[in-house]
Amino acid sequence: MATQDGLETSREGDQQVSRMRGRIFEAMCLAATAIGLVAVGILLLYVTADAIRPFSADPGWHLVFFATLVVPSTGFGLYLYARDGNAGKVAYTALGLGLIGVLLAGALVILFVEIFPYGEWFALSIALAILGAVTVVHRRYRRHAETERTGLLIVTLLVTVFGIPPGAIAELLGLPFYIPSVRGLIASSPVLPLDWIMLVPSLVLPVAAAAGWFVRGRRESNRAGLVTAGAVIVGSVLGVGLGPVVGVGVEGWMLIVLSTAVPLGLYVESVLRRDEGRLGLLFPVVLVGGTLLGAVLTRTLGFAGPDPWLDWGFLTSATSTTPADAGIYPVMVGSIMLLIVIVLTTFPVGVGAAIYLEEYAPSSGLMGRLVTLIEINIGNLAGVPSVVYGLLGLALFVRFFQMPTGSVIVGGLAVGLLILPIIIISAQEAIRSVPDSMREASYGMGATRWQTVRNVVLPEALPGILTGTILAFGRAIGETAPLLMIGMAASVRVPPNGFFSRSGAMPRQIFQWARQFDPAFLNGVLPAGVVTLVFVLLVMNGTAIIIRNRYQRGS
Amino acid sequence: MTQDEMTDTNDGTDPTANAAADTPDPSGDPLVDQSIDVEGTSTTEQTSGTARTVLESRNLDVYYDDVQALNDVSLAIPAKQVTAMIGPSGCGKSTFLRCINRMNDLIDSARVDGELRFEGKDVYDDDVDPVALRRRIGMVFQHPNPFPKSIYDNVAYGLRVQNQTENMDEKVERALKHAALWDEVKDQLDKSALDLSGGQQQRLCIARAIAVDPEVILMDEPASALDPIATSKIEDLIDDLAEDYTVVIVTHNMQQAARISDKTAVFLTGGELVEFDDTNKIFENPENQRVEDYITGKFG
Ligand SMILES: Nc1ncnc2c1ncn2[C@@H]1O[C@H](COP(=O)(O)OP(=O)(O)O)[C@@H](O)[C@H]1O
Ligand SMILES: [Mg+2]
Repeated sequence: MATQDGLETSREGDQQVSRMRGRIFEAMCLAATAIGLVAVGILLLYVTADAIRPFSADPGWHLVFFATLVVPSTGFGLYLYARDGNAGKVAYTALGLGLIGVLLAGALVILFVEIFPYGEWFALSIALAILGAVTVVHRRYRRHAETERTGLLIVTLLVTVFGIPPGAIAELLGLPFYIPSVRGLIASSPVLPLDWIMLVPSLVLPVAAAAGWFVRGRRESNRAGLVTAGAVIVGSVLGVGLGPVVGVGVEGWMLIVLSTAVPLGLYVESVLRRDEGRLGLLFPVVLVGGTLLGAVLTRTLGFAGPDPWLDWGFLTSATSTTPADAGIYPVMVGSIMLLIVIVLTTFPVGVGAAIYLEEYAPSSGLMGRLVTLIEINIGNLAGVPSVVYGLLGLALFVRFFQMPTGSVIVGGLAVGLLILPIIIISAQEAIRSVPDSMREASYGMGATRWQTVRNVVLPEALPGILTGTILAFGRAIGETAPLLMIGMAASVRVPPNGFFSRSGAMPRQIFQWARQFDPAFLNGVLPAGVVTLVFVLLVMNGTAIIIRNRYQRGS
Repeated sequence: MTQDEMTDTNDGTDPTANAAADTPDPSGDPLVDQSIDVEGTSTTEQTSGTARTVLESRNLDVYYDDVQALNDVSLAIPAKQVTAMIGPSGCGKSTFLRCINRMNDLIDSARVDGELRFEGKDVYDDDVDPVALRRRIGMVFQHPNPFPKSIYDNVAYGLRVQNQTENMDEKVERALKHAALWDEVKDQLDKSALDLSGGQQQRLCIARAIAVDPEVILMDEPASALDPIATSKIEDLIDDLAEDYTVVIVTHNMQQAARISDKTAVFLTGGELVEFDDTNKIFENPENQRVEDYITGKFG
């Protein structure tokens, strides 16, 4: 009896110790998670407070906004969180879409104004339209001649983009005249059409057609499709009258409609039709309504708002020796151009390499071992410090290829090299997550490897690939060390006027501000720059998360 | 694509024509003897004694790196009948099946020795294009594996990759009807195939395989992941399919083999083909003691 009792108590004691250990372990893990998050969170709060300077506002201003914005939106948000998960999802998707759309519109405006003028885009879209028409006609008459079609398309592309200039080629072909490129044709016309007039056929109509087509398929009704397309066109063209009135210009209005209103409208339509989580649509309304109401109230009551460093002026002006005038615009343009170079170079190369390694490369034998070696080293490359990539960029692009020091192209290529391994690895992971049974099904149907990759593997892997690459691009935007090494400009007053001209970039500019002695720079301009950069990063990561959630397998 | 004999039935000709049973091999390959008697066919019910051999393996060995998965397998599979492969798991049934349409090419470590003839032509000859081969030999897998596309696009997939896009709607409808799925899905062809039940998905995979009108259909335990009702539907379907196609089915379910097959091959561990004969004979009076032990459940 006694011994049994003893046994039981000791076993119970053991269990208690073990349970205790488990709890301590759990607490330690939690603490480890929290330390990192809290540290970064505090830092960001601190920086944001410096950039926004909320305490420069009247207490009344805070009170008003607390009542109109904070209380209703938190209350509503908590309600959705607790009661209606679907509506919560709808709420943050709608909010995210709107935010991304507005940012995209801003980026597009900068793109058209600074980098790729409306006229160029117009010419390019006409060339693409001609290409499309050639494809359609050729497919109708010579359906199976695919090689011929490819050749024809290349020739058409060359002719539309470059034309056939007078000289050797024209003589060789025995042409008595020369064919101008589409771009040349437009440039030589006596009057250049207004920017927005060029925007209508080259962007508004295609987007309207795409939206209409999408709705037509979804609703299985031609009428719904036509109505959608019509609404997009009308909404855009309204900008001719309204754009200048609200201060964004005709083109700005059109771009906002196309990048924000159209996706948001389609999303709202789909939520209403599916009848799932409709309530969530109210969340953005609460936010916007609260902001407007707060603004009106504070204005009428005479409460002064804060005087932030991060304001419209900061976003639209160049840096300056006086902190109050300093802004981030030219380097923002520089960063966008860098990102263009990075995306155009690393996406095809990285995804191509990933496809090769996963789908084509042998996995056994001598070649297989070589491939494994390469894969291991791609992993190693992802861990090489970024300064080293800067050095590589300097040696390779500036010294060897004689590209201009500190130019957008060199910066983009150097940072591109840096994130290439990350893109390859994440794309490989996405491709690997496509189950083999899909590939077997495709091969078993007599599909070639290319058909399998194009029709089965890539569509399945694309959301994963996009998520990974967007995260990598976010990393690229914030990289500073390579930019220092290749000699990007410390601070610039005007945006670069081409990919080969010297430019600044947001992180480089931030680094420069951090070296000023004037405390107004350190405590005002610098935080404003940091918050701008971090905001861009957060939005990019948010986009990646939205894509991942939307296309997750099995949902 | 080269116009070798593995492709000639796909281009231009009416796809139903090449399934005609007793037409001589169109390639006229001298290596194939049209009148080969399949060993011991005296009791085959469907044909009176002889059936044309479509597939024939001679001394087939398969290795994965150093592991031998098939050991000296020789057998002849008759046209328009159901041939079942049974045996304990790991004995090489799937391996044999995947050799026939060269799906093993996708596994780098797999190596094949010996002969495997389809309509008289060794499928491992250098001039055979595995893609063209798979267009004539369809396959259905153990777990239903429809593409995450619409029902229509699943069935049309083979037609599209094989460039047979004329009268596609008709062909899709015919395949779905043949797979006994049409009535259940005819109003929802745009719906995702992943929304179907497991049994429906497997019938969709069968429809997908027969849409391109192959000559042979390979099935690797097509019902093992399904419930009894779905299984019996698939079994009925296989019975129907044998009227138009040569069916080779792997199963670990002996009753199933006994129910649906005309011929049965028994593999035992080590990748050995122990006995190959009419199904009746195998189940009622097997020659080999080990086969008898396996069938009666003494081991396996
Ligand atoms: N991809 C592979 N790589 C290496 N060995 C394999 C592979 N596939 C099958 N095998 C081996 O080959 C043998 C036969 O397998 P399999 O043909 O799948 O058997 P069954 O289908 O009869 O269960 C087994 O020993 C298995 O381990
Ligand atoms: Mg198997």
